[in-house]
Amino acid sequence: MNTLPQTVVRPEFEASDLDAANHGDVARRLTAYERLSNMDSVRKFSILILFIAAWEIYTRASGVSHFLLPKFSDTAVALFQAIWSEQLLIMVWNSITILVTGYAIGLAIAAVLTTAAITTRFGSDLLSTLTAMLNPLPAIALLPLALLWFGLGSESIVFTLLHSVIWPVALNAHTGFMSVSETQRMVGRNYGLRGMTYVVKLLIPAAFPSILMGLKIGWAFAWRTLIAAELVFGGSISDTAETQSGGLGWFVFSNQMDMQIPHVFAGLFTVILVGIFVENVIFTNIEIKTVRRWGMQTS
Amino acid sequence: MDTLPQLVIRPEFENTDIKDAHTGNIAVELSIVEKIWNINGIRKAVILLGLVITWQIYTVALDVEPLMFPSFLFSLERLLVDLFTGDLIFKIWFSVKVLLIGYSAGMAIAAVLVLWATASRLGSDFIATATAMFNPLPAIAMLPLAMLWFGLGTASLVFVLIHSVLWAVALNTHSGFKNVTETLKMIGENYGLRGVPFVCKVLVPAAFPSILSGMKVGWAFAWRTLIGAELVFGASSGSGGLGWYIFESSQNIETEGVFAGLFMVILIGIVVENVVFRNVELRTVNRWGMQR
Repeated sequence: MNTLPQTVVRPEFEASDLDAANHGDVARRLTAYERLSNMDSVRKFSILILFIAAWEIYTRASGVSHFLLPKFSDTAVALFQAIWSEQLLIMVWNSITILVTGYAIGLAIAAVLTTAAITTRFGSDLLSTLTAMLNPLPAIALLPLALLWFGLGSESIVFTLLHSVIWPVALNAHTGFMSVSETQRMVGRNYGLRGMTYVVKLLIPAAFPSILMGLKIGWAFAWRTLIAAELVFGGSISDTAETQSGGLGWFVFSNQMDMQIPHVFAGLFTVILVGIFVENVIFTNIEIKTVRRWGMQTS
Repeated sequence: MDTLPQLVIRPEFENTDIKDAHTGNIAVELSIVEKIWNINGIRKAVILLGLVITWQIYTVALDVEPLMFPSFLFSLERLLVDLFTGDLIFKIWFSVKVLLIGYSAGMAIAAVLVLWATASRLGSDFIATATAMFNPLPAIAMLPLAMLWFGLGTASLVFVLIHSVLWAVALNTHSGFKNVTETLKMIGENYGLRGVPFVCKVLVPAAFPSILSGMKVGWAFAWRTLIGAELVFGASSGSGGLGWYIFESSQNIETEGVFAGLFMVILIGIVVENVVFRNVELRTVNRWGMQR
Protein backbone atom coordinates (compact mmCIF):
# COMPACT_ATOMS: atom_id res chain seq x y z
CA MET A 1 0.00 0.00 0.00
CA ASN A 2 2.93 2.31 0.43
CA THR A 3 3.05 2.87 -3.36
CA LEU A 4 0.00 5.12 -3.07
CA PRO A 5 0.93 8.79 -2.90
CA GLN A 6 0.74 10.16 0.59
CA THR A 7 -0.74 13.52 1.38
CA VAL A 8 2.00 15.79 2.58
CA VAL A 9 0.90 18.25 5.22
CA ARG A 10 3.35 21.08 5.36
CA PRO A 11 3.84 22.76 8.72
CA GLU A 12 2.19 26.15 9.17
CA PHE A 13 4.58 29.03 9.13
CA GLU A 14 4.55 32.79 9.19
CA ALA A 15 7.02 34.78 7.12
CA SER A 16 8.72 36.98 9.63
CA ASP A 17 10.78 38.97 7.17
CA LEU A 18 8.38 40.55 4.72
CA ASP A 19 11.11 42.87 3.47
CA ALA A 20 12.23 40.09 1.13
CA ALA A 21 9.12 40.81 -0.93
CA ASN A 22 10.32 44.35 -1.40
CA HIS A 23 10.20 45.41 -5.01
CA GLY A 24 13.35 47.47 -5.09
CA ASP A 25 13.30 50.68 -7.06
CA VAL A 26 11.22 49.92 -10.14
CA ALA A 27 11.32 53.33 -11.72
CA ARG A 28 15.04 53.94 -11.48
CA ARG A 29 16.41 56.16 -14.20
CA LEU A 30 18.95 54.36 -16.36
CA THR A 31 22.46 55.72 -16.19
CA ALA A 32 23.91 57.42 -19.25
CA TYR A 33 26.10 54.39 -19.91
CA GLU A 34 23.15 52.01 -19.80
CA ARG A 35 21.08 54.21 -22.10
CA LEU A 36 23.97 54.47 -24.54
CA SER A 37 24.61 50.74 -24.57
CA ASN A 38 20.91 50.11 -25.16
CA MET A 39 21.19 51.74 -28.58
CA ASP A 40 21.65 49.07 -31.22
CA SER A 41 23.75 51.12 -33.59
CA VAL A 42 26.11 52.30 -30.84
CA ARG A 43 26.80 48.71 -29.76
CA LYS A 44 27.36 47.48 -33.29
CA PHE A 45 29.53 50.44 -34.16
CA SER A 46 31.70 49.91 -31.09
CA ILE A 47 32.14 46.25 -32.05
CA LEU A 48 33.38 47.42 -35.42
CA ILE A 49 35.78 49.89 -33.79
CA LEU A 50 37.00 47.20 -31.39
CA PHE A 51 37.59 44.85 -34.29
CA ILE A 52 39.62 47.46 -36.16
CA ALA A 53 41.56 48.39 -33.00
CA ALA A 54 42.35 44.72 -32.34
CA TRP A 55 43.57 44.34 -35.91
CA GLU A 56 45.79 47.44 -35.68
CA ILE A 57 47.23 46.51 -32.27
CA TYR A 58 47.82 42.90 -33.28
CA THR A 59 49.70 43.83 -36.44
CA ARG A 60 51.80 46.42 -34.61
CA ALA A 61 52.55 44.31 -31.55
CA SER A 62 53.24 40.92 -33.13
CA GLY A 63 55.26 42.39 -35.97
CA VAL A 64 53.56 40.06 -38.45
CA SER A 65 54.91 40.53 -41.94
CA HIS A 66 52.90 43.15 -43.79
CA PHE A 67 52.83 40.78 -46.74
CA LEU A 68 50.67 38.47 -44.66
CA LEU A 69 48.48 40.95 -42.80
CA PRO A 70 48.97 44.67 -43.35
CA LYS A 71 48.09 47.20 -40.69
CA PHE A 72 44.61 48.67 -40.84
CA SER A 73 46.06 52.15 -41.22
CA ASP A 74 48.09 51.01 -44.24
CA THR A 75 44.96 49.50 -45.74
CA ALA A 76 42.99 52.71 -45.24
CA VAL A 77 45.80 54.74 -46.80
CA ALA A 78 45.92 52.28 -49.73
CA LEU A 79 42.17 52.61 -50.20
CA PHE A 80 42.34 56.41 -50.44
CA GLN A 81 45.39 56.23 -52.67
CA ALA A 82 43.62 53.80 -54.97
CA ILE A 83 40.55 55.99 -55.15
CA TRP A 84 42.47 59.23 -55.85
CA SER A 85 45.30 58.10 -58.07
CA GLU A 86 44.68 54.56 -59.29
CA GLN A 87 41.24 54.86 -60.81
CA LEU A 88 39.62 52.48 -58.38
CA LEU A 89 36.30 54.26 -58.89
CA ILE A 90 36.53 53.72 -62.65
CA MET A 91 37.18 50.02 -62.04
CA VAL A 92 34.16 49.86 -59.74
CA TRP A 93 32.15 51.59 -62.45
CA ASN A 94 33.37 49.06 -65.06
CA SER A 95 32.29 46.17 -62.87
CA ILE A 96 28.91 47.73 -62.16
CA THR A 97 28.22 48.47 -65.84
CA ILE A 98 28.85 44.85 -66.77
CA LEU A 99 26.80 43.66 -63.81
CA VAL A 100 23.83 45.90 -64.67
CA THR A 101 23.94 44.87 -68.34
CA GLY A 102 23.95 41.18 -67.48
CA TYR A 103 21.34 41.60 -64.78
CA ALA A 104 18.95 43.56 -66.99
CA ILE A 105 19.20 41.16 -69.95
CA GLY A 106 18.83 38.22 -67.55
CA LEU A 107 15.67 39.73 -66.07
CA ALA A 108 14.21 40.24 -69.55
CA ILE A 109 14.86 36.62 -70.53
CA ALA A 110 13.50 35.41 -67.20
CA ALA A 111 10.35 37.50 -67.78
CA VAL A 112 9.82 35.91 -71.21
CA LEU A 113 10.36 32.39 -69.81
CA THR A 114 8.01 33.03 -66.89
CA THR A 115 5.33 34.45 -69.17
CA ALA A 116 5.56 31.34 -71.34
CA ALA A 117 5.40 29.21 -68.22
CA ILE A 118 2.25 30.78 -66.80
CA THR A 119 0.35 30.83 -70.08
CA THR A 120 0.98 27.32 -71.43
CA ARG A 121 1.58 23.93 -69.88
CA PHE A 122 4.43 23.28 -72.29
CA GLY A 123 6.15 26.48 -71.15
CA SER A 124 5.73 25.48 -67.53
CA ASP A 125 7.25 22.05 -68.18
CA LEU A 126 10.08 23.57 -70.19
CA LEU A 127 10.89 26.07 -67.45
CA SER A 128 10.85 23.51 -64.65
CA THR A 129 13.05 21.10 -66.63
CA LEU A 130 15.53 23.83 -67.52
CA THR A 131 15.73 25.27 -64.00
CA ALA A 132 16.07 21.84 -62.40
CA MET A 133 18.98 21.15 -64.73
CA LEU A 134 20.72 24.51 -64.94
CA ASN A 135 20.09 26.07 -61.51
CA PRO A 136 22.56 23.75 -59.74
CA LEU A 137 25.21 24.53 -62.36
CA PRO A 138 27.52 27.29 -61.08
CA ALA A 139 27.62 30.03 -63.69
CA ILE A 140 31.37 30.38 -63.33
CA ALA A 141 31.82 26.85 -64.74
CA LEU A 142 30.44 28.19 -68.03
CA LEU A 143 33.16 30.82 -68.29
CA PRO A 144 35.62 28.58 -70.18
CA LEU A 145 32.90 27.84 -72.75
CA ALA A 146 31.91 31.50 -72.92
CA LEU A 147 35.51 32.48 -73.55
CA LEU A 148 35.64 29.95 -76.37
CA TRP A 149 32.41 31.18 -77.96
CA PHE A 150 32.60 34.93 -77.42
CA GLY A 151 36.33 35.42 -77.05
CA LEU A 152 38.03 37.46 -74.36
CA GLY A 153 35.86 40.40 -73.57
CA SER A 154 32.92 41.64 -71.64
CA GLU A 155 30.51 39.54 -73.76
CA SER A 156 31.77 36.39 -72.06
CA ILE A 157 31.26 37.85 -68.61
CA VAL A 158 27.78 39.09 -69.56
CA PHE A 159 26.95 35.59 -70.81
CA THR A 160 27.94 33.98 -67.51
CA LEU A 161 26.08 36.69 -65.59
CA LEU A 162 22.94 35.97 -67.63
CA HIS A 163 23.18 32.36 -66.65
CA SER A 164 23.57 33.22 -62.97
CA VAL A 165 20.54 35.57 -62.98
CA ILE A 166 17.96 33.85 -65.22
CA TRP A 167 17.37 30.60 -63.33
CA PRO A 168 16.90 31.81 -59.75
CA VAL A 169 14.72 34.73 -60.90
CA ALA A 170 12.57 32.60 -63.24
CA LEU A 171 12.23 29.83 -60.66
CA ASN A 172 11.12 32.17 -57.87
CA ALA A 173 8.82 34.25 -60.08
CA HIS A 174 7.16 31.08 -61.39
CA THR A 175 6.53 29.62 -57.92
CA GLY A 176 5.29 33.06 -56.83
CA PHE A 177 2.78 33.24 -59.68
CA MET A 178 1.63 29.67 -59.14
CA SER A 179 0.88 30.30 -55.47
CA VAL A 180 -1.28 33.41 -55.96
CA SER A 181 -4.51 32.41 -54.26
CA GLU A 182 -7.56 31.55 -56.37
CA THR A 183 -9.60 34.15 -54.47
CA GLN A 184 -7.34 36.98 -55.56
CA ARG A 185 -7.39 35.74 -59.15
CA MET A 186 -11.18 35.67 -59.15
CA VAL A 187 -11.34 39.19 -57.65
CA GLY A 188 -9.13 40.37 -60.51
CA ARG A 189 -11.35 38.73 -63.10
CA ASN A 190 -14.40 40.24 -61.44
CA TYR A 191 -12.88 43.67 -62.02
CA GLY A 192 -12.61 42.77 -65.68
CA LEU A 193 -8.79 42.54 -65.73
CA ARG A 194 -7.51 40.52 -68.65
CA GLY A 195 -4.21 39.84 -70.41
CA MET A 196 -1.39 42.24 -69.59
CA THR A 197 -3.38 44.38 -67.13
CA TYR A 198 -4.26 41.20 -65.25
CA VAL A 199 -0.58 40.27 -64.96
CA VAL A 200 0.67 43.78 -64.11
CA LYS A 201 -2.09 44.80 -61.69
CA LEU A 202 -2.82 41.51 -60.02
CA LEU A 203 -0.30 38.70 -60.48
CA ILE A 204 2.88 40.75 -60.05
CA PRO A 205 1.83 42.56 -56.84
CA ALA A 206 0.45 39.32 -55.38
CA ALA A 207 3.63 37.38 -56.17
CA PHE A 208 6.00 40.25 -55.33
CA PRO A 209 7.54 38.82 -52.16
CA SER A 210 8.77 35.79 -54.00
CA ILE A 211 9.80 37.79 -57.10
CA LEU A 212 11.84 40.05 -54.83
CA MET A 213 13.43 37.00 -53.23
CA GLY A 214 14.41 35.78 -56.69
CA LEU A 215 15.86 39.19 -57.56
CA LYS A 216 17.95 39.16 -54.37
CA ILE A 217 19.27 35.64 -54.95
CA GLY A 218 19.98 36.54 -58.57
CA TRP A 219 21.92 39.61 -57.45
CA ALA A 220 23.94 37.60 -54.90
CA PHE A 221 24.88 34.95 -57.48
CA ALA A 222 25.63 37.55 -60.15
CA TRP A 223 27.88 39.58 -57.83
CA ARG A 224 29.81 36.48 -56.79
CA THR A 225 30.12 35.29 -60.37
CA LEU A 226 31.30 38.68 -61.57
CA ILE A 227 34.02 38.96 -58.95
CA ALA A 228 35.15 35.40 -59.60
CA ALA A 229 35.18 35.89 -63.38
CA GLU A 230 37.17 39.09 -63.07
CA LEU A 231 39.55 37.56 -60.56
CA VAL A 232 40.34 34.80 -62.98
CA PHE A 233 40.07 36.11 -66.45
CA GLY A 234 39.82 39.85 -65.86
CA GLY A 235 43.49 40.17 -66.62
CA SER A 236 43.24 38.64 -70.05
CA ILE A 237 40.14 40.70 -70.73
CA SER A 238 41.72 43.98 -69.75
CA ASP A 239 44.81 43.21 -71.80
CA THR A 240 42.83 43.15 -75.00
CA ALA A 241 40.95 46.36 -74.33
CA GLU A 242 42.55 49.57 -75.50
CA THR A 243 41.56 51.62 -72.50
CA GLN A 244 42.62 50.89 -68.97
CA SER A 245 39.58 48.90 -68.01
CA GLY A 246 39.34 45.75 -65.91
CA GLY A 247 37.05 45.60 -62.91
CA LEU A 248 37.17 45.34 -59.18
CA GLY A 249 38.08 41.65 -59.19
CA TRP A 250 40.98 42.39 -61.48
CA PHE A 251 42.14 45.13 -59.08
CA VAL A 252 42.29 42.55 -56.26
CA PHE A 253 44.01 39.95 -58.40
CA SER A 254 46.64 42.18 -59.96
CA ASN A 255 47.58 43.71 -56.62
CA GLN A 256 47.92 40.25 -55.13
CA MET A 257 50.24 39.32 -57.97
CA ASP A 258 52.30 42.46 -57.26
CA MET A 259 52.28 41.62 -53.54
CA GLN A 260 50.55 44.94 -52.78
CA ILE A 261 48.64 43.35 -49.92
CA PRO A 262 47.23 46.62 -48.47
CA HIS A 263 45.70 47.23 -51.89
CA VAL A 264 44.19 43.71 -51.86
CA PHE A 265 42.48 44.56 -48.57
CA ALA A 266 41.38 47.91 -49.99
CA GLY A 267 39.82 46.05 -52.93
CA LEU A 268 38.02 43.67 -50.57
CA PHE A 269 36.68 46.66 -48.59
CA THR A 270 35.31 48.12 -51.79
CA VAL A 271 33.65 44.80 -52.67
CA ILE A 272 32.05 44.74 -49.22
CA LEU A 273 30.93 48.38 -49.51
CA VAL A 274 29.30 47.86 -52.90
CA GLY A 275 27.60 44.70 -51.59
CA ILE A 276 26.30 46.45 -48.48
CA PHE A 277 25.08 49.38 -50.57
CA VAL A 278 23.09 47.19 -52.94
CA GLU A 279 21.64 44.94 -50.24
CA ASN A 280 20.94 47.47 -47.51
CA VAL A 281 20.11 50.56 -49.55
CA ILE A 282 18.61 49.44 -52.85
CA PHE A 283 16.86 46.21 -51.91
CA THR A 284 15.79 47.37 -48.45
CA ASN A 285 14.24 50.49 -50.00
CA ILE A 286 12.38 48.45 -52.58
CA GLU A 287 11.18 46.20 -49.78
CA ILE A 288 9.99 49.12 -47.66
CA LYS A 289 8.15 50.74 -50.56
CA THR A 290 6.46 47.55 -51.74
CA VAL A 291 6.00 44.39 -49.71
CA ARG A 292 6.23 46.01 -46.26
CA ARG A 293 3.99 48.90 -47.22
CA TRP A 294 1.46 46.46 -48.63
CA GLY A 295 1.67 44.51 -45.37
CA MET A 296 2.85 41.29 -46.99
CA GLN A 297 5.99 41.02 -44.90
CA THR A 298 6.84 42.25 -41.45
CA SER A 299 10.08 43.53 -39.96
CA MET B 1 -34.09 65.83 -64.52
CA ASP B 2 -32.94 63.71 -67.43
CA THR B 3 -29.67 62.96 -65.60
CA LEU B 4 -31.51 60.51 -63.37
CA PRO B 5 -31.05 56.88 -64.43
CA GLN B 6 -34.03 55.46 -66.25
CA LEU B 7 -35.44 52.08 -65.42
CA VAL B 8 -34.91 49.66 -68.31
CA ILE B 9 -37.62 47.08 -68.72
CA ARG B 10 -36.52 44.19 -70.92
CA PRO B 11 -39.18 42.53 -73.00
CA GLU B 12 -40.44 39.16 -71.82
CA PHE B 13 -39.30 36.20 -73.89
CA GLU B 14 -39.50 32.44 -73.88
CA ASN B 15 -36.57 30.25 -74.82
CA THR B 16 -37.80 27.96 -77.55
CA ASP B 17 -34.63 25.95 -78.15
CA ILE B 18 -33.87 24.29 -74.83
CA LYS B 19 -31.53 21.77 -76.50
CA ASP B 20 -28.73 24.35 -76.29
CA ALA B 21 -28.46 23.58 -72.59
CA HIS B 22 -27.39 20.05 -73.41
CA THR B 23 -24.39 19.10 -71.29
CA GLY B 24 -22.38 17.05 -73.76
CA ASN B 25 -20.32 13.99 -72.94
CA ILE B 26 -18.68 14.84 -69.62
CA ALA B 27 -17.43 11.41 -68.65
CA VAL B 28 -15.47 10.70 -71.84
CA GLU B 29 -12.56 8.29 -71.36
CA LEU B 30 -9.22 9.98 -72.05
CA SER B 31 -7.38 8.41 -74.95
CA ILE B 32 -4.16 6.57 -74.11
CA VAL B 33 -2.04 9.35 -75.60
CA GLU B 34 -3.78 11.93 -73.43
CA LYS B 35 -3.35 9.77 -70.35
CA ILE B 36 0.37 9.32 -70.96
CA TRP B 37 0.78 13.01 -71.81
CA ASN B 38 -0.79 13.92 -68.47
CA ILE B 39 2.02 12.26 -66.51
CA ASN B 40 4.40 15.01 -65.40
CA GLY B 41 7.56 12.94 -65.54
CA ILE B 42 6.94 11.78 -69.08
CA ARG B 43 6.33 15.31 -70.39
CA LYS B 44 9.54 16.52 -68.77
CA ALA B 45 11.52 13.55 -70.04
CA VAL B 46 10.21 14.23 -73.54
CA ILE B 47 11.30 17.86 -73.28
CA LEU B 48 14.74 16.80 -72.09
CA LEU B 49 15.00 14.29 -74.91
CA GLY B 50 13.86 16.96 -77.37
CA LEU B 51 16.60 19.33 -76.19
CA VAL B 52 19.24 16.64 -76.50
CA ILE B 53 18.05 15.62 -79.97
CA THR B 54 18.01 19.26 -81.12
CA TRP B 55 21.57 19.64 -79.89
CA GLN B 56 22.70 16.47 -81.65
CA ILE B 57 20.94 17.29 -84.93
CA TYR B 58 22.15 20.89 -84.87
CA THR B 59 25.78 19.90 -84.45
CA VAL B 60 25.70 17.01 -86.90
CA ALA B 61 23.56 18.59 -89.62
CA LEU B 62 25.29 21.96 -89.65
CA ASP B 63 28.67 20.29 -89.25
CA VAL B 64 29.65 22.62 -86.40
CA GLU B 65 33.34 22.61 -85.52
CA PRO B 66 33.60 20.15 -82.57
CA LEU B 67 36.21 22.42 -80.99
CA MET B 68 33.53 25.09 -80.64
CA PHE B 69 30.46 22.98 -79.92
CA PRO B 70 30.83 19.19 -79.83
CA SER B 71 27.82 16.97 -80.40
CA PHE B 72 25.94 15.49 -77.46
CA LEU B 73 26.94 11.89 -78.11
CA PHE B 74 30.60 12.87 -78.44
CA SER B 75 30.49 14.65 -75.05
CA LEU B 76 28.64 11.75 -73.45
CA GLU B 77 31.18 9.28 -74.79
CA ARG B 78 34.01 11.37 -73.38
CA LEU B 79 32.23 11.49 -70.00
CA LEU B 80 31.77 7.71 -69.87
CA VAL B 81 35.31 7.01 -71.03
CA ASP B 82 36.79 9.36 -68.45
CA LEU B 83 34.50 8.03 -65.72
CA PHE B 84 35.36 4.37 -66.25
CA THR B 85 38.89 4.43 -67.55
CA GLY B 86 40.24 7.83 -66.59
CA ASP B 87 40.68 9.48 -63.25
CA LEU B 88 37.54 11.66 -63.39
CA ILE B 89 36.03 9.70 -60.53
CA PHE B 90 39.00 10.57 -58.30
CA LYS B 91 38.71 14.21 -59.26
CA ILE B 92 35.04 14.19 -58.30
CA TRP B 93 35.88 12.51 -55.02
CA PHE B 94 38.56 15.13 -54.37
CA SER B 95 36.09 17.99 -54.94
CA VAL B 96 33.38 16.40 -52.82
CA LYS B 97 35.82 15.69 -50.00
CA VAL B 98 37.04 19.30 -49.89
CA LEU B 99 33.45 20.49 -50.05
CA LEU B 100 32.38 18.26 -47.16
CA ILE B 101 35.31 19.34 -44.98
CA GLY B 102 34.65 23.02 -45.67
CA TYR B 103 30.90 22.68 -45.24
CA SER B 104 31.03 20.83 -41.93
CA ALA B 105 33.71 23.14 -40.53
CA GLY B 106 31.61 26.14 -41.56
CA MET B 107 28.51 24.63 -39.94
CA ALA B 108 30.41 23.92 -36.71
CA ILE B 109 31.72 27.49 -36.49
CA ALA B 110 28.27 28.85 -37.30
CA ALA B 111 26.78 26.69 -34.51
CA VAL B 112 29.28 28.04 -31.98
CA LEU B 113 28.64 31.63 -33.06
CA VAL B 114 24.87 31.24 -32.90
CA LEU B 115 25.06 29.58 -29.47
CA TRP B 116 27.06 32.55 -28.26
CA ALA B 117 24.54 34.91 -29.86
CA THR B 118 21.60 33.27 -28.08
CA ALA B 119 23.44 33.32 -24.78
CA SER B 120 24.51 36.95 -24.70
CA ARG B 121 23.68 40.31 -26.22
CA LEU B 122 27.34 40.89 -27.08
CA GLY B 123 27.32 37.69 -29.15
CA SER B 124 24.12 38.73 -30.88
CA ASP B 125 25.61 42.11 -31.77
CA PHE B 126 28.80 40.49 -32.94
CA ILE B 127 26.98 38.10 -35.25
CA ALA B 128 24.82 40.90 -36.65
CA THR B 129 27.86 43.09 -37.40
CA ALA B 130 29.97 40.26 -38.81
CA THR B 131 27.24 38.90 -41.09
CA ALA B 132 26.37 42.38 -42.35
CA MET B 133 30.02 42.88 -43.22
CA PHE B 134 31.05 39.48 -44.57
CA ASN B 135 27.86 38.19 -46.18
CA PRO B 136 28.06 40.60 -49.14
CA LEU B 137 31.73 39.68 -49.68
CA PRO B 138 31.96 36.90 -52.27
CA ALA B 139 34.04 34.11 -50.76
CA ILE B 140 36.03 33.72 -53.94
CA ALA B 141 37.44 37.23 -53.43
CA MET B 142 39.15 35.88 -50.29
CA LEU B 143 41.00 33.30 -52.36
CA PRO B 144 44.06 35.46 -53.13
CA LEU B 145 44.43 36.19 -49.42
CA ALA B 146 43.82 32.56 -48.47
CA MET B 147 46.55 31.43 -50.82
CA LEU B 148 48.87 33.93 -49.24
CA TRP B 149 48.10 32.75 -45.72
CA PHE B 150 47.72 29.02 -46.20
CA GLY B 151 49.70 28.44 -49.34
CA LEU B 152 48.56 26.60 -52.42
CA GLY B 153 46.57 23.60 -51.37
CA THR B 154 43.47 22.20 -49.76
CA ALA B 155 43.79 24.46 -46.71
CA SER B 156 43.07 27.62 -48.67
CA LEU B 157 40.15 25.97 -50.48
CA VAL B 158 38.69 24.92 -47.13
CA PHE B 159 39.19 28.44 -45.74
CA VAL B 160 37.29 29.97 -48.65
CA LEU B 161 34.52 27.35 -48.36
CA ILE B 162 34.14 28.05 -44.63
CA HIS B 163 33.78 31.72 -45.43
CA SER B 164 31.06 31.00 -48.00
CA VAL B 165 29.05 28.71 -45.70
CA LEU B 166 29.51 30.36 -42.32
CA TRP B 167 27.75 33.70 -42.83
CA ALA B 168 24.76 32.43 -44.78
CA VAL B 169 24.06 29.72 -42.20
CA ALA B 170 24.74 31.96 -39.18
CA LEU B 171 22.51 34.73 -40.52
CA ASN B 172 19.56 32.44 -41.24
CA THR B 173 19.88 30.44 -38.03
CA HIS B 174 20.16 33.56 -35.90
CA SER B 175 17.13 35.22 -37.47
CA GLY B 176 15.25 31.91 -37.21
CA PHE B 177 16.03 31.71 -33.48
CA LYS B 178 14.89 35.29 -32.98
CA ASN B 179 11.56 34.56 -34.67
CA VAL B 180 10.68 31.57 -32.46
CA THR B 181 7.45 32.55 -30.74
CA GLU B 182 7.56 33.50 -27.09
CA THR B 183 4.95 30.80 -26.32
CA LEU B 184 7.18 27.97 -27.54
CA LYS B 185 10.11 29.37 -25.58
CA MET B 186 8.03 29.61 -22.40
CA ILE B 187 6.82 26.04 -22.83
CA GLY B 188 10.44 24.95 -23.07
CA GLU B 189 11.33 26.89 -19.94
CA ASN B 190 8.33 25.36 -18.20
CA TYR B 191 9.75 21.92 -18.89
CA GLY B 192 12.89 23.07 -17.14
CA LEU B 193 15.01 23.16 -20.28
CA ARG B 194 17.98 25.45 -20.01
CA GLY B 195 21.18 26.18 -21.92
CA VAL B 196 22.18 23.70 -24.60
CA PRO B 197 19.20 21.30 -24.14
CA PHE B 198 16.89 24.32 -24.51
CA VAL B 199 18.57 25.25 -27.79
CA CYS B 200 18.59 21.68 -29.12
CA LYS B 201 15.09 20.68 -28.09
CA VAL B 202 13.14 23.91 -28.57
CA LEU B 203 14.97 26.52 -30.62
CA VAL B 204 16.48 24.26 -33.29
CA PRO B 205 13.28 22.37 -34.18
CA ALA B 206 11.20 25.56 -34.06
CA ALA B 207 13.61 27.45 -36.30
CA PHE B 208 14.36 24.49 -38.57
CA PRO B 209 12.73 25.83 -41.76
CA SER B 210 14.96 28.87 -41.63
CA ILE B 211 18.06 26.85 -40.64
CA LEU B 212 17.41 24.54 -43.58
CA SER B 213 17.09 27.44 -45.99
CA GLY B 214 20.36 28.81 -44.63
CA MET B 215 21.99 25.43 -45.22
CA LYS B 216 20.66 25.36 -48.78
CA VAL B 217 21.93 28.87 -49.54
CA GLY B 218 25.25 27.93 -47.93
CA TRP B 219 25.48 24.83 -50.09
CA ALA B 220 24.71 26.81 -53.24
CA PHE B 221 27.40 29.40 -52.42
CA ALA B 222 29.91 26.74 -51.41
CA TRP B 223 29.40 24.69 -54.58
CA ARG B 224 29.79 27.78 -56.77
CA THR B 225 32.82 28.93 -54.84
CA LEU B 226 34.49 25.52 -54.99
CA ILE B 227 34.07 25.16 -58.73
CA GLY B 228 35.26 28.74 -59.24
CA ALA B 229 38.28 28.25 -57.00
CA GLU B 230 39.22 24.96 -58.63
CA LEU B 231 38.82 26.39 -62.09
CA VAL B 232 41.73 28.63 -61.21
CA PHE B 233 43.91 27.20 -58.57
CA GLY B 234 42.77 23.58 -58.21
CA ALA B 235 45.78 21.93 -59.73
CA SER B 236 48.04 23.32 -57.04
CA SER B 237 47.13 20.58 -54.62
CA GLY B 238 48.38 17.74 -56.78
CA SER B 239 45.38 15.88 -58.08
CA GLY B 240 42.94 18.74 -58.64
CA GLY B 241 39.16 18.50 -58.66
CA LEU B 242 36.20 18.72 -60.98
CA GLY B 243 36.69 22.44 -61.66
CA TRP B 244 40.28 21.77 -62.61
CA TYR B 245 39.13 19.02 -64.98
CA ILE B 246 36.94 21.57 -66.77
CA PHE B 247 39.71 24.14 -66.91
CA GLU B 248 42.28 21.63 -68.13
CA SER B 249 39.97 20.45 -70.91
CA SER B 250 39.29 24.01 -71.98
CA GLN B 251 43.00 24.83 -71.99
CA ASN B 252 43.66 21.78 -74.19
CA ILE B 253 40.72 22.88 -76.37
CA GLU B 254 38.95 19.58 -75.69
CA THR B 255 35.53 21.14 -75.57
CA GLU B 256 33.82 17.76 -75.22
CA GLY B 257 35.74 17.40 -71.95
CA VAL B 258 34.33 20.75 -70.78
CA PHE B 259 30.82 19.48 -71.50
CA ALA B 260 31.57 16.18 -69.75
CA GLY B 261 32.70 18.16 -66.68
CA LEU B 262 29.58 20.34 -66.81
CA PHE B 263 27.39 17.20 -66.95
CA MET B 264 29.02 15.96 -63.76
CA VAL B 265 28.64 19.35 -62.04
CA ILE B 266 24.93 19.40 -62.92
CA LEU B 267 24.49 15.80 -61.82
CA ILE B 268 26.08 16.38 -58.41
CA GLY B 269 24.07 19.57 -57.98
CA ILE B 270 20.82 17.76 -58.77
CA VAL B 271 21.65 14.88 -56.42
CA VAL B 272 22.42 17.22 -53.52
CA GLU B 273 19.42 19.50 -54.03
CA ASN B 274 16.77 16.98 -55.06
CA VAL B 275 17.89 13.90 -53.13
CA VAL B 276 19.82 15.02 -50.04
CA PHE B 277 18.03 18.25 -49.14
CA ARG B 278 14.64 16.97 -50.34
CA ASN B 279 14.91 13.97 -48.03
CA VAL B 280 15.99 16.11 -45.09
CA GLU B 281 12.98 18.33 -45.80
CA LEU B 282 10.58 15.38 -46.02
CA ARG B 283 11.82 13.92 -42.77
CA THR B 284 11.80 17.15 -40.79
CA VAL B 285 9.81 20.23 -41.73
CA ASN B 286 7.28 18.44 -43.94
CA ARG B 287 6.72 15.69 -41.40
CA TRP B 288 6.38 18.21 -38.58
CA GLY B 289 3.83 20.10 -40.65
CA MET B 290 5.80 23.35 -40.74
CA GLN B 291 5.93 23.46 -44.51
CA ARG B 292 3.87 21.91 -47.23
